[in-house]
Amino acid sequence: MTKTVLTIDDSRTMREMLNMALVQAGYRVLQAVDGVEGLEVLRAEGADVVITDINMPRLDGFGVIEGVRADPSHRATPILVLTTESDATKKERARAAGATGWIVKPFNPTKLVDAIRRVAA
Amino acid sequence: MDPFESIKATFFQECEELLTDMESGLLAMEAGDDDPETINAVFRAVHSVKGGAGAFGLEQLIRFAHVFETILDELRSGRLSLTEDVTRVLLRASDVLADHVQAARNDGSVDETRTHGMISDLQGLVGAERAAELGFDGEEEDAGEEDFGFVPVTLSLDEPADDAPPADVSDLIASLAPAPEAEAEAEAEVAAPAADSLAEAGAAPAWRVTFRPKTEMYAKANEAGLVLRELARLGGVEVNLDASAVPPLDQLSAEQAYLSWTIRLTGDATEAEVRDVFEFVEDDCDLSIVREGEAAEAEAEAEAAAPVDIAAEDSDAPADAVEAAAAAPLDLDALLARVQGDSPAAEPAEAEAPAETPAPEAEAPASAEPASLDVAGLIALAEKASTEHALATPAAKPEPKVETKAESKAQAAAPTGGSAAPAPTIRVDLDRVDRLINAVGELVIQQAMLSQRVFESGLARSSDVALGLEDLELLTREIQDSVMAIRAQPVKSVFQRMPRLVREVADMVGKKVRLVMEGENTEVDKTVIERLSDPITHMLRNAIDHGLERPEDREANGKPGEGVVRLAALHRGGRIVIEVQDDGRGINRERVRGIAMSKGLIAEDAVLSDDEIDNLIFLPGFSTADVVSDISGRGVGMDVVKRSIQALGGRISISSEPGKGSKFTMSLPLTLAVLDGMVVSAAEQTLVAPLSNIVESLTPRSEDVHLIGGRDAVIRIRETFVPLIDVGVALGFRDTPLPPSSGVAVLIESEGGGKAALLVEAIQGQRQVVIKSLEANYQQIPGVAAATILGDGRVALILDVDALVTSSRRKSAPRIEKRMAG
Repeated sequence: MTKTVLTIDDSRTMREMLNMALVQAGYRVLQAVDGVEGLEVLRAEGADVVITDINMPRLDGFGVIEGVRADPSHRATPILVLTTESDATKKERARAAGATGWIVKPFNPTKLVDAIRRVAA
Repeated sequence: MDPFESIKATFFQECEELLTDMESGLLAMEAGDDDPETINAVFRAVHSVKGGAGAFGLEQLIRFAHVFETILDELRSGRLSLTEDVTRVLLRASDVLADHVQAARNDGSVDETRTHGMISDLQGLVGAERAAELGFDGEEEDAGEEDFGFVPVTLSLDEPADDAPPADVSDLIASLAPAPEAEAEAEAEVAAPAADSLAEAGAAPAWRVTFRPKTEMYAKANEAGLVLRELARLGGVEVNLDASAVPPLDQLSAEQAYLSWTIRLTGDATEAEVRDVFEFVEDDCDLSIVREGEAAEAEAEAEAAAPVDIAAEDSDAPADAVEAAAAAPLDLDALLARVQGDSPAAEPAEAEAPAETPAPEAEAPASAEPASLDVAGLIALAEKASTEHALATPAAKPEPKVETKAESKAQAAAPTGGSAAPAPTIRVDLDRVDRLINAVGELVIQQAMLSQRVFESGLARSSDVALGLEDLELLTREIQDSVMAIRAQPVKSVFQRMPRLVREVADMVGKKVRLVMEGENTEVDKTVIERLSDPITHMLRNAIDHGLERPEDREANGKPGEGVVRLAALHRGGRIVIEVQDDGRGINRERVRGIAMSKGLIAEDAVLSDDEIDNLIFLPGFSTADVVSDISGRGVGMDVVKRSIQALGGRISISSEPGKGSKFTMSLPLTLAVLDGMVVSAAEQTLVAPLSNIVESLTPRSEDVHLIGGRDAVIRIRETFVPLIDVGVALGFRDTPLPPSSGVAVLIESEGGGKAALLVEAIQGQRQVVIKSLEANYQQIPGVAAATILGDGRVALILDVDALVTSSRRKSAPRIEKRMAG
């Protein structure tokens, strides 16, 4: 069964990169431009994995994680945090909020697919 | 296009938007906006530029963006406070960043010295100590490399080898095969080495991994089964489950973690590789990874890690049985089959697993048969811990809202569409729009011709045909407006380039300048916008270089040292007006007059109003490299600016007040395609006067018309005299003037505010006409702006009102000149 990955990133470039890598890897890809839209799309369409950026307008990545974990239907949906932050505090904050894993930008497609495989059956 | 190249193109497109966002944020900050969201937005913009640059390995861009971003982060976190000096440096940094983007885009190079200077200025903001803490010390050389360098890795699906030689990222993406295959491979691999390991056991080096997840691990949606599956990719595995900590069912909390695993991993995986598998979970589990050779140690550790005590304390739990079960090797295939099911949240069927399967605790005491423990049930239990809540409300998924769904579907279908803007937009080739506009123009003409024919045929106004035509006319008008609106764009795209220009010119001439912009959202036709840039640039340069005084001179005159230049756009009378105003010294009229006289542009005794003197700077031949109207030493005179604006059907004028400043006003038609006009006849010609210039029309009385110098007529309109221009004569259609009382005077006002009355024979009516360029089809004629095709198919000339007014006003000067010569 084709798995659905929801990507939430305010950068169009990043969304396209993710889209290309994920579609080529056989995933179905949903996109959202910020946290608010991300949660809306997740509620409406569902997803097997959520990949979210940290720095975004309206609702940032931490907000997304909290929103997903607070939603009973998606409490167990794996969330990968996508960010250039190699900053340990950001990663820790994301983890504390309930992030399942992380991908450090710039990612390469292998790493991306590896990370998804690690968190989604 | 290569998908990678197309993403790169997207990146640069996005960069432009980001740079614009960044600059407007910085400008807002400069103007005193200290809203954290503004700073955040600027940070995000720079951050996104860096992020994208990272993906394409644009080293120089990454390096600079990194320093810039780090400083912005300092600001964002409040460690650096927002002062005027800080914003000034940040604004300059934004220019340098824009240069870097430009260079990256064109494969060009950046000014290294400027970059280095900028980096040290940025670092200077936080002080040397903090800069060192932030890791700026080791020169920028490695700042980029270490944290953000893009290290491509070849992807091979046969074996997940991360140490293969680096390849180009585009190759990487191209080589990425669909996941289903990968999935299949993974399964095959898992099965095979597992079997092998039995044969090779003992011979190959092995890792002994003890893995005891904590409750938090499941709370983050990590799953033990998936971690084990990853581990199995590294080599042969023997997995032992320790379920001894599982309490009786009535004491079992679904959210708790009870299980732990001991895995024997054979193969040549390094410790780093093994550890990497646990990357996401290592802080949420007890983990030990040891070489099997170090047996004693390993045993001790395993012992310590084993959760035997909980089981032992629990008198209900048959410790023996559970321990035996834990020791029994798990059937890996069964385990994998189990955990490779669908995503737990999406699969309610799994919820039933623990219930259907005999609960281990219940069965174990009865049968006392360790082998009968249902491993699958235990795994399901482990999973249940992480999914329980989700499963408890499987039907609770909210009904998707229709619009949200549609939106996300659209995004899924067209992910490259770029949905960053709130309102959906499409990109259309300009040629197509122009073809449409042309066709609509023809439609307007056809419609007018049809109306006229119907009218001429004598059909009653109330006839069905006439009424239908009226509706058609309204509809045509609406279509035309809508089509024109497609081409309309806010002047923002031009305005936003100006702050940088102002900063650079100000730096160059050593003046302090604040640019105030107004009306950025004023819309105007795209062709007009494209041609606004040069004149605005010239006027701004001129305002800074010549309009504003040096800071010390300003202060001496009681003005603030910082000069203000205002750039505004507004709609007025169906045209777009651009104003560039400075609060400088104003025009030195004595000097301008002197120069104009020395160049023979005006007679020595010419009587000129202040306004007329000011506007002398637009005369051809006025400017030279060393006079006031020269623009920043670039040798472009204001006459050139004026000509380029006139070519667009626009006009420019200046007004100035000594000591207070000058204001350039430039006005352009909103569109170059249609015009509301008054159709008039003069000398048996049909002409069109732009409606926007017309003030009123009147029938002149002979006593109100006076002749000056026996030839030039003026007409008295409510106590003021304005020149009366006989259009037929002015355009050379005839030689003898029309007796004023037998015609109609149309009072017009030019953009510069000059008034004149046009004497014509009759007014035919008001009509919208489609502008056909004369220059494109014939040549430029003074006094004629363009031509159009009327409803009856005849060609009519559109009057250039300004040129007519100006020529009537200027007549005095040349005539004086003539007299002097004669």
